[in-house]
Formats: sequence, C-alpha cells, structure tokens
Amino acid sequence: MIVKHLKELYDYRNLIWQLAWSEFKLRYKNSILGYFWSLLEPLLMLIVLYVVFSNLMKVQVEYYQLFLLLGIILWGFLSRATTIGMFSIVGKPSMVKKIYFPRDIFVISSCITALLMSVFESLIFIMFMVFFRVPISVNIIYAPFILLCLFIVSLGLSLALSALNVFYRDVQFIWQVLLQVGYFATPILYTIDIFPKNLQKFVLLNPIARIIISARDTIIYSSPAKIEDLLFMFLSSTVFLIVGYIIFSRLEPGFAEEI
Amino acid sequence: MTAIEVEHLHKTFRIPHEKRTTLFETLTGAFKPPTYETFHALKDINFTVEEGEALGIIGENGSGKSTLLKIIANILRPSSGKVTALKKITPFLELGVGFQADLTAAENIKIYATIMGMQKREINDKLDDILEFAGLENFRDTKLKNFSSGMQVRLAFSTAIQTDPEILLMDEVLAVGDMEFQQKCLDVLSQYRKDGVTIVFVSHDLGAVRRFCDRTLLLNKGEQLVLGDTGDVIDRYVYGGGEEASTSGSQNEPDEVESDVNSEDQNPRWGDKTVEITNVEFYDKFGNRGSRFNSFDPMTIRIFYNAHKKVSDPVFGIALYSENGENLFGTNTELKNIEIDTLEGKGHVDLMVERIPMITGRFLLTVAVHTHDQKPYDWHDKQYSFDVIPTGRDAGLFEVPCNWKI
Repeated sequence: MIVKHLKELYDYRNLIWQLAWSEFKLRYKNSILGYFWSLLEPLLMLIVLYVVFSNLMKVQVEYYQLFLLLGIILWGFLSRATTIGMFSIVGKPSMVKKIYFPRDIFVISSCITALLMSVFESLIFIMFMVFFRVPISVNIIYAPFILLCLFIVSLGLSLALSALNVFYRDVQFIWQVLLQVGYFATPILYTIDIFPKNLQKFVLLNPIARIIISARDTIIYSSPAKIEDLLFMFLSSTVFLIVGYIIFSRLEPGFAEEI
Repeated sequence: MTAIEVEHLHKTFRIPHEKRTTLFETLTGAFKPPTYETFHALKDINFTVEEGEALGIIGENGSGKSTLLKIIANILRPSSGKVTALKKITPFLELGVGFQADLTAAENIKIYATIMGMQKREINDKLDDILEFAGLENFRDTKLKNFSSGMQVRLAFSTAIQTDPEILLMDEVLAVGDMEFQQKCLDVLSQYRKDGVTIVFVSHDLGAVRRFCDRTLLLNKGEQLVLGDTGDVIDRYVYGGGEEASTSGSQNEPDEVESDVNSEDQNPRWGDKTVEITNVEFYDKFGNRGSRFNSFDPMTIRIFYNAHKKVSDPVFGIALYSENGENLFGTNTELKNIEIDTLEGKGHVDLMVERIPMITGRFLLTVAVHTHDQKPYDWHDKQYSFDVIPTGRDAGLFEVPCNWKI
C-alpha cells in the first residue's frame, strides 16, 4: 500500500512541484523587494537578536552570529512549513471540493514551498560563512541527513495539523502558541549548557533541539554528529511522519464534506 | 468492457444541529452528544457504464446528481457500497479549479493543466494553442485578476479540453457562459464522443442529454428511479410516471401564481359562480396528470366544473400567457362553434392540444366559463401553469413550422 502510494505521488511529482512553485511565487508577488524579503527577514531578526543576546545578555559562543543565524533559519523552516502546511487544506476549498488527487499532495507541496523559502534564506548564511572564514570539514556530510530529518518532522506535523485544522479551527491558534513555547524551549538563542544537567535530558527529547545542535556542530564547528543523536533524529522523525500520516488518512475522507 | 461500476451505493450526510468547529466546543460539549439530522443523499444506486458510452444523469435539484458525480470522482466517499472506475477519471465539475488571480495566464494554464493530469512536455507544447483558442494570445503574461470573467472561463475551457480523458465527468459546465460558449462545449463533447471517451453527463439541459447520451439515469430524492434508453427516461422525468405528478402537479400551482397576481391589486377570480370551475388538470400523452411537457408533444387540458343551477348555452374558454404575462393565444367554444346545450351538476370538458408548439418555458393559463355576452360565471385569471421542456435546439418561444430550401 505504501509502495503504491509512493508510486502515485511520483506520478504526481509535476503537480507537487507546480503547486509548491506557484505558492512560492505568490508569496512575493506584490512586494517591491520581492524575493529579497526572504533574505532580509532573517537578517533583520539576526541583527536584533545578536544585539540583545551578545551585548546585553553576554552570551559567549564562538561564531555567535552564525550560531544564531542557523538556529533562526532551521526553526524558521519548521515554523513556516507547519504554518503553511496547516492551511494547505482549509485554504483551498475549491480544489478539495471540485477535483481529486491524493490530498497529501497539498501538504507535501506546502512543505516544499517552505523549503524553497528556507533555501533562499540560507544564501545569507553561506555569505556569512564565507565572510567569517569559517573552516568547513568533511563532517558537513552529516548535514543533508540532519536537514532531511527536519523536513520529515515538519511534514509529519503538517499532515496532522492540516487534517485537524479542517475539523477544529482552533488548532491554528494552539499551534501558534506551541511554536512560541518551542522557540524558547529549543536551544536557538542559547546553548544547551544554560540548563542544569538533569534538565538537559528533557530538552533533548525534543528532536528539533538535537537537529539544531547537530547541524551547528557539523556545519559551523567542524565536529562530527553523535551517533546517538542521529539515531534519535531518525527514529523520532519517522514516528512523527507515521503518526502524521495516520491522523491525516483517518480524517481525509471527510475533507470535502467538512470544508 | 466496463468503465465504471457502481454497486449498492449509499451516501448519508450528517448535518449537525449545532456545528462544532472548534476544539473548545468539542471539549465542552463532550458530555452532551451532538444531535444530527441525517440526510440520505443517495440510496442504493446500481449501474455500470460501458467503455465509450455516454451516460446522462438527470433529476430535480437536490436529487443527488452532483453528489453521485463527486463520489465517482473520488471527491466524496460513499457511506456504503462500492464505486469502481477502471480507467483514469477526468472530472469537469468546475472550470478553472486552482486558478490564482495573482498569477499570469501562462502560469495558470500550467497549473490547471497539471491538475487536469497533463504532462509537462505536453503543456509546454500546447501552451500557445491554448492561448490562441481562447483568443488571448496578447495576454500571455497578464495577471488573471485583470481578466474579465468571460476571459477566465475561456482560458479555463481551452485548457481543460486539451486533456485526453478516458472517463469524463461533466457537471453543468455548460450552464455557465453565453450561447456561443455553450455551443463550443457541445462541439467538444461531440468530439469526445467520436473519440470513444466514456462520458458521464449531469445536466438540466434535457435537449443536450437527449442528443449526447446513450442511456440516462433518473434520480429522484436520492433514489434511482429508472435507468435506460435516454428518450424513455426523459419522458419519464418530464411526465413523472404518475407519482411525481401528484405532488407537484397543477394543484399546487394556483397558490404560487395567485400571490403574483394579487400584488397587482387584482382579484384573479371573478364571476357569479353559477357555474364554478373547480379544478384544472393537465394530462400528458400517456394519460398521466402532470405539469411538465416535452415541446411538440400532445397535451390535454381538463376543466372540471360544477353547475349549481341549470345553465343553458355557456361558453368555455382558455387563454395562454407567457411567464411575463403576454397573451399568446386564446380560444373558446363559441369561436369554435361548439354549442353546449345545458349544463347541470359536476363534470368536465377537455381541450386537446395535438402538439405543444412552445419550445421552452413556463406558461400561464386562464380558464373561464361565461355567457355568450361575456358575462362571466367563473373566471380564473392566469391561475394555472405548466412547463415546457425543450426537445430540439431551436431558439425562441414558439416553433414556426418551416423548411429550408437551398
């Protein structure tokens, strides 16, 4: 069944891409600076946070600008993918009611839209890497796997949220609150060391925390990822995806009636 | 070979009395189970569509036609029963699904064509053709929001017809747009017919159904009334087969019309009622009562009277009006030189219409009984109505018998 569905999705690859790309274009269609907004947005965020945290709070971290920027971009992806994804079904009632293709295509393509936006943002990060002459080691080969895990977690969450949002519209508000909580509970602005040792275990139950930490280690600090972290990421992202799909496919038959 | 198979299909919608769309409402209402109105949209539908066949689905509004089509298209799921489609389905339930106002014509064509299942290369090849066919070559990079609605429909239509469907589901797409557009749609449909595409066609346009569909399914309140040869099924629909007519027949019509006429400050009924007209009924070619007739079919108008006193030499008459109140035709027994000696008690007179010459629309009927010097016994002004359903493609109100000679 899974294989059959994957084949079906492969047949629809063109549609997934078209939907993702048109959504991406639409995001910047009526703004003068256009795509540059996706470069400016994290940059402005970075400046504010950098000023606050490195001067006022005296955070002492090597390459703190990069540390911060990578955290912002990765968390930004999760937040954007789940937010766009959450509205991918309720935002397209005419398509849901008038035509059929596998409904998860809406969600997948919205995650790809978020990915496109984040890839764009990453250009800033690459420029920073070059500017600060950060040495790159072979450990960067872990990065694609880590980022893939992030994508899968986001997709799993988006699937669940998009389906739940059809039936319970307050999911969107709850999720915004949870994202805010997550932003501060995840080591984005700070290192995990600020937590007491016994609390760190709990922080590390959050797969996004491990993803961000490992991404920094391998991309900025030239150190290898821990096998334990990689395993945890792999397992947890798989669980997110499976649970997301189960919720989605349970609710999917009612979409056209409920919207 | 069978293309679509529908077996024991049921569809029930649950319509909650109070809708809970938020989690909060669901939690607070957890101990108070929600009350539902269940609505049986489809009841035990069974049919198959053979490959290359065109099946029409007709019925009143709310009879479940569109629901059935959506279930075949896999947009809605059956409550029980099974629908099997053995070929790829292309639904034309609405034109321009997924159109984005902020994207250009070319971009929208690409998205829409992809949704309709076309391949990338095919789309790129046909892009110019599509724009040309829609007459929008010069607007390739214009945003859709700057298009008139007519242009948008043209764009959607020219894109949609580029698809190469195996099974085509069509729902009232013809209903939008002007005559020229409808004609274009019908031409495309004929082309698909010739190419051997399996078509399921839902329409109120019985003329189109008659021309395109081999077989037709008649739905009434979610039930499958008849499935068979298109001509027979349309007759059944129009003439109701007895059961339908008794509920929506002429009996109910006077109330509706009465309110119309009353608003013009006129009592629609006058006369001293020495002879009272008690009812008027319409009968179709099968002898069933009804209020809907195919154009060019025969019809009988039966006037029931009750003469309270013995009356000698009364005149029965009728007048026919269009829906806007124009007098189209009038006649009476005097004009036809028919003498009625005396009338007493209850009875009826029939006016036989050999062939209804009207093409389409609703028509109002005045019936009256009066003396030779125009003193009315009972006059019902535009109190009765019937509908004429088109069978051909001629336009207008009336058929004028004619032939072309070239």
